[in-house]
Amino acid sequence: MSTRPRVLIVDDEPDVLLTLRMILEAEGFDTALAADGETALRRIDDEQPDVVLLDLMMPVLDGWYVLAELAGRTRRPRVVVCSAKTATADQQRARDLGADEYLTKPFDPDRLVTVICGVLARGRSRV
Amino acid sequence: MQVGQAPMGDARQAGSVDQLPGQISQRIRREAQVAGVRDHAPSIEAVERRRMQLWLLTLVVVALLGTATIVASLGVAEDTWILGNPWVLRAAVALLGVGFAVYALEKEVHLHRLSRLLVDERVLSAAMAKRIEVQEALAAAGKALNSVLELDEVLDVILARAVQLFGAVSGSVMLLEDEHLRVVAVRGSPLGRDATVPLGTSVAGRVAQTRQAVLLDGPVEVGVPGPEPEASGGDPSGPASSSTMCVPLVNRGRVLGVLVVSAAGGKRFDDYDLGVLELFAEPVAAAIAKAGLYEAERAHVARLLEADRFRSQLVASVSHELRTPITSIRGAVAAARRDRDPERLAELLGVIDRQANRLQTMVEEILDSARIDQHSPTRPRHIDVAALVRLVALDAEVAGRPVRVHAPERCEAAVDPEAMRRILGNLIDNAHKYGTPPVEVTLTPTDGELALTVRDHGPGVPPHLRQRIFERFYREDPNGTRPGIGLGLAIVRGLAEAMGGRVWVDDAPGGGARFGVVLNVPVTTGPREVVHVH
Repeated sequence: MSTRPRVLIVDDEPDVLLTLRMILEAEGFDTALAADGETALRRIDDEQPDVVLLDLMMPVLDGWYVLAELAGRTRRPRVVVCSAKTATADQQRARDLGADEYLTKPFDPDRLVTVICGVLARGRSRV
Repeated sequence: MQVGQAPMGDARQAGSVDQLPGQISQRIRREAQVAGVRDHAPSIEAVERRRMQLWLLTLVVVALLGTATIVASLGVAEDTWILGNPWVLRAAVALLGVGFAVYALEKEVHLHRLSRLLVDERVLSAAMAKRIEVQEALAAAGKALNSVLELDEVLDVILARAVQLFGAVSGSVMLLEDEHLRVVAVRGSPLGRDATVPLGTSVAGRVAQTRQAVLLDGPVEVGVPGPEPEASGGDPSGPASSSTMCVPLVNRGRVLGVLVVSAAGGKRFDDYDLGVLELFAEPVAAAIAKAGLYEAERAHVARLLEADRFRSQLVASVSHELRTPITSIRGAVAAARRDRDPERLAELLGVIDRQANRLQTMVEEILDSARIDQHSPTRPRHIDVAALVRLVALDAEVAGRPVRVHAPERCEAAVDPEAMRRILGNLIDNAHKYGTPPVEVTLTPTDGELALTVRDHGPGVPPHLRQRIFERFYREDPNGTRPGIGLGLAIVRGLAEAMGGRVWVDDAPGGGARFGVVLNVPVTTGPREVVHVH
């Protein structure tokens, strides 16, 4: 089994999924993709990623729902929110719901890698 | 017909009577005292009574003196100890006579003065009462005018007050527009609203031009008919008017229009009425000017508010939509730096191209919308609209949005080609984004109209949203599964309206949404014209 950290990328924008996947794979991560909240929760259950990159505004179930769902769990992955929502209130709400980091779009992809490494260093997952 | 210029003095001089009643009352009291009128409030009747008393007294005195003179001449009283000497008696009678004559004359002089003062007072009281009535009416009109700001309301108040003030049967207000007067308010007059009266060619027109108020008696035609009486305003006074006044409405040296008031049934206005109407016209002109300023200010504020709303909606709506493609582009560049595999590079270039196009579309939409906001004029050109429709359809097809076109072979009209291209492009985009293919474009030239419809076979637009979808930033799904900032249809409407047309949406026969644009332009149709070159 691979020891590469697993990252689930959740975004409804196909080009964001595509480019983030290429970057993270080049940086040595294993990636999985989800384009809505429902798929994201299923893949979190199935694949138990170390980190979830989570967009907030999505169809079906949005990122807020995913955060709230994960907040009730005893074992959950690290969550880095990547959203075009820039309001401080949104950032605070995300952190209150258990997000580890909050990146506002558009972000520097290199910084994304640093942030992912940072949250991984805190421990692959919380109990 | 008698035409009189208004003696402004008549009404204005009345201002000096304000101080008179006090003086007159004092003089009346003084004269009454001297004349011996004891009434608390001396009246002409009291003066007459006093005069009667004086005459009676005079008669009595004359009788007494006459008797005394006769007695003296007959020597009846010769033995009396007082008047032993007949000359003494004669002298006494003469003295008494002269003394009484002086007394009576003086009283008569004062009574005469008193009666004149009393008549003056009556005249003044009547004038004051009339003046108070006029002033109250003017004050009420002023108050009413100050309490309303909408021009239409102001005009209604003006006419209602003017008609009431002068006991008139009809009236109208005409406002100056370029080289003619337009009837903007009518009361009790056969004159049509919006009728026009050319400057200088009718009584109303002359009043506006010369700024001189006029009073016309008899059944006169104030709006002197031109070649076509209806078009030139007809007769603002109505056919049965017996007297008409027409005054200019001047504010800060600028003629705003004229006010016409007419009486009927033999009633005649006089110069005093004309003076009062002129006084009335001053606050009226000020109120009209204020209402005009208010409307301009309100329109200005509405524009500012709309611009403000546009900005805040723009920030809210656009920020997400602009950030997402930039995220993809930056991601693609970062990915390309890490992976030089030609296939992946091609894929990443595709991402950059797509997202840059998306950004460009948004920027163009924002700029178009801002331009429509500034009411930039359209540039109509005589073009073959059918050819343009086919061209736009081809572009859409190349961009992966196939379209079926139903249009005549040739359909020439004067339209703004760029605006038409945007309208059709946006409608096709919209149909593909929210509807279901096939998308059909139909160009229908009719008599003096050009209709362009775009239909799809999707779920259609529910009736309660048919207005809202043309509003700026309205999006069916604000959380954005479909890219866009909600400006496409607003731009369609803005451009169509800028060209004097209108937009609509309904259900297409057989299902789906049908968007239409109708432009009021003359259209030439027919087979394509072929130019033979030899």
